[in-house]
Amino acid sequence: MAKNLEHQIDESEKLGMQIVKESEDDRLMTLSVGPQHPGSGHFRFTIKVDGDYVVYCDPDPGYVHRGEEKMCEYRNFIQNIPHLERPVIHDSANITYSYSLAVEELVGIQVPRRGQFIRAIASELDRQIYTLYWLAIYGIFLGHSTMFMWPTGDRELFIDLMDALSGARVTHAFNIPGGVRNDMPLGFKDKCLRHISYFEKRLKEYEDIFYTNPLFIQRTEGVGILTKEDAIRLGVTGSVLRASGVPYDIRKAEPYDVYNEIDFKVQYMKSGDSLARAYVPLLDMKESCHIMRQLLDKMPESGEVRAKLQPTPKGPPGEAYRRVESGRGALGYYIVSDGSPKPYRVKISVGSFRNMIALPHLLVGSKLADMPSVYWSLNYWPVEADR
Amino acid sequence: MATYPQEYRFGNFVASIIRLILWIVIIVSLVGLPIIFVILFYVPLPPVNGEVLTPYLFLSMIVDPTRTLPILHFIIHTDIFKVAVFPGFSFAALFAAVTIFVERKFLAKMQLRIGPLYCGKIEGILQLLADGLKLIAKEIIIPSGADKPIFWAAPVAFVATAAAVVALIPVAPGWVAANVNVGIIAVFAILGFFPLIALLFSWASNSKYPFIGGLRALHQMIAFEIPFFLSALSVVILSGSLNLTDIVKAQNPYWYIFFLPISAFVFFISSLAELERIPFDLPEAESEIVAGWLTETSGMIFGLIQLGSYVKVYALSALFVILFLGGWAGPQIFPKELSHGPTAGLMGLLTLQGIYNGVTANAIFWFVLKTFGIMMLMLLPRGISPRIRIDILLHTGWYKLIVLTFINMFIALALIYGGILGPGGLLTAH
Amino acid sequence: MSQDQNNKSGSSITPSQPPSTPTKAAAPPAKKGTEVPAFENGLVSQIISRFGEDKIKVAYIRPLRMKVNVDPTGIVEVATFIRDNLGFDHAESVTGTDYPKDNQIEVIYQLGSYSKDDIAAHILSLATRTNRDDALLPSLTNVYKSAEYHERETFEMLGVYFEGHPRNERFLLPEDWADLPPLRKEFRIRGR
Repeated sequence: MAKNLEHQIDESEKLGMQIVKESEDDRLMTLSVGPQHPGSGHFRFTIKVDGDYVVYCDPDPGYVHRGEEKMCEYRNFIQNIPHLERPVIHDSANITYSYSLAVEELVGIQVPRRGQFIRAIASELDRQIYTLYWLAIYGIFLGHSTMFMWPTGDRELFIDLMDALSGARVTHAFNIPGGVRNDMPLGFKDKCLRHISYFEKRLKEYEDIFYTNPLFIQRTEGVGILTKEDAIRLGVTGSVLRASGVPYDIRKAEPYDVYNEIDFKVQYMKSGDSLARAYVPLLDMKESCHIMRQLLDKMPESGEVRAKLQPTPKGPPGEAYRRVESGRGALGYYIVSDGSPKPYRVKISVGSFRNMIALPHLLVGSKLADMPSVYWSLNYWPVEADR
Repeated sequence: MATYPQEYRFGNFVASIIRLILWIVIIVSLVGLPIIFVILFYVPLPPVNGEVLTPYLFLSMIVDPTRTLPILHFIIHTDIFKVAVFPGFSFAALFAAVTIFVERKFLAKMQLRIGPLYCGKIEGILQLLADGLKLIAKEIIIPSGADKPIFWAAPVAFVATAAAVVALIPVAPGWVAANVNVGIIAVFAILGFFPLIALLFSWASNSKYPFIGGLRALHQMIAFEIPFFLSALSVVILSGSLNLTDIVKAQNPYWYIFFLPISAFVFFISSLAELERIPFDLPEAESEIVAGWLTETSGMIFGLIQLGSYVKVYALSALFVILFLGGWAGPQIFPKELSHGPTAGLMGLLTLQGIYNGVTANAIFWFVLKTFGIMMLMLLPRGISPRIRIDILLHTGWYKLIVLTFINMFIALALIYGGILGPGGLLTAH
Repeated sequence: MSQDQNNKSGSSITPSQPPSTPTKAAAPPAKKGTEVPAFENGLVSQIISRFGEDKIKVAYIRPLRMKVNVDPTGIVEVATFIRDNLGFDHAESVTGTDYPKDNQIEVIYQLGSYSKDDIAAHILSLATRTNRDDALLPSLTNVYKSAEYHERETFEMLGVYFEGHPRNERFLLPEDWADLPPLRKEFRIRGR
């Protein structure tokens, strides 16, 4: 008994010394940019500040961790779709797109051509919806309330289109393994083209009010520079990677569905600072409008949109890894099947989780006032990273 | 509300009427009559048409309303009216309230939305009242470990200081709550009090985010006070007086903004920084430090600080108008008198005999119009700019703006010594 | 380069499958009539020729996807070779799968390439297996920095300790988690 007590006393002495040592760093102030903060979304990270400079940053995700991967093992391939799209509610056509591609490879399903086109159109629309929301929050992080209202308002155009297409404004549950759930409504193509034309004019107005605003440029130019070597080494993805000079887009590198028939350029910039990371999504949005026009043009007039499936499809034992370019970057699914209708293991590799590693790398050594512009420019969606 | 309706009996109705009469009699006899007797016996009352105001005369005014006009005239020219109602606190508060509402609508139109819509029948005009009532009803949460006396005193001091600035501002010739001969210096001395209040309040909140916000507020306000009064210094050089009323009178016929555009610009930017408006709202930067030094405010404390903020907006816009835009100068569009010669009876009442002064009305009109214009100009950057960063802010305040004010000061001195302005100058009106 | 994965499989209507025997999930799906693709075969054979047939076991070679099994002792060298010589410069995802029937946990690294154009679409999966009861593996953080947070998540979700990783700590789970690592098969979601 005495020995146990001795052991306990030793432990607490050690702890006490640790507390004393930490408080010797009196100059450092620990800030918890926590989940209940208007500047972080559902994400917590701890920073230690010396005056105005950040000396230590530690991300602590998991506030909205739901156990998506574990839940997938309890439902069959089609039942997994509704809960898998919850991590990113408004970009749900992309997060279920990748899943559908992997399941189709495992089970061996051939998607009809018109279904492939509609899937791609939904993916592009959702990419616009997500990027506009991200841009709106970027505006409000820097204090620009008009830049919060305009993209959120323009986003309603695309949400209306997705509403007409799938029946729900967000969490569309539109993609299933084998195609899409239902066909386009009448008049969708004209409505879509009208909205795209209006939106392309609005993109110019965004540049005028935000991207060429001297105060915005002052706050983001040269801030949080991520070099090309670091970007490749840290394995970031999406617009963060393209802003550091690596022209990598999965739609071009490994085209899935009908993307090999679409002619578009990968948009990238070389500077790697926050301004480039804010600019690349704007260029992506412009390019996305071109892609949507081509998709609407080349789509077959009629046809099946969904392959005929069993209610509970299953395939031979195996594994598959497919990926898709979503709003945040490469979204990959690694699915292992053991021959039953339910997957054996599903691993979701999301762009936000991969970009998180750049946050301590960029924040340490920069100013506290730069924290919002660096953090949000990493295109981090907290709910998706937590799954 | 799920209550069942009361039985409507005639007896209850009569009982309520009698209750009402009882209360009126009690209040009048116990409270009202003593007040009237105190006023009539101890307060010097103005003579009405050559007669001393007796209770008989007072009660007869109810019959003949035209006799109330001299009383009104007397009340309007007392000091307490000038301090409390016009051009003092109530006028400023009304201006502030209108500004808050107009700001919300104006920003909404810029941002492709509508703004308040449902409170009040016309375009949400009662929204401010609803917000005020809501704030009054909220619970005031004081963090543990906070310094309670300062926590309660600082918001009140904030509003009081803003009101003190308002008291020095002349709205029309002769209409100023405090006609101080060193008007401008008094204004800047009072304005220098604000960083202290911000710092005290943020320190008393005992929390990290207010601490950072308070330090930022301190740095910002101190950095911009110097260009602020250096730009006003050029105006003082040109006008030769520190009294605000004299400065307005000296801007005849040309306003100072034509001679001192750079100073006006610097004054405008510095007042945006003093008011903590976007793009200078670092102390309240929402995305970085929650709400800055206002984080721990809740309920009416927040309401008081908002009120003080917008009263300060009115005060600094009015100051800009007085220093650079000629105050109340403007073409006379109101008739000098509503009637020719003294009239009596109903026409006397309608023409506000003895109260209406054409010059004053004109002055008030032009002053309000100009101040409103400048306030709209101050609201505009909120829609088009993001927030500035602290190091760029301090660099601007300490380097660039001070240099610009010195340039304009040399221009002002050149104008005086060149004989263009100042006493005996070419452009001075006599 | 842009081979459409969907054209590979058979008819569009899937016939009902007979109940499959429980096999190792990493077994390659037997596709009749398809040869091993040449380019991917070339990449894998470079690894095999460097380290030898006994250390490297090929799980499957498909168009754009390759999987290679390595023992835990040699995985750091193989990963360094893959990074320096083959040009796969980042880890897209690192995860683990629990196989209670073999009493093993398989940790798989999906490696991709940003810098070389001819392998930009390829994913090389590097897998290793460890005992379930005493799961210990060397960490690849020094080789692939991008695997750091993924390995930490694998630690907390499956209980695999990565030697050499700077922080084997709780990451996504709540601070008061006192249960089994959730992705193990014996952890059942309540009510299911």
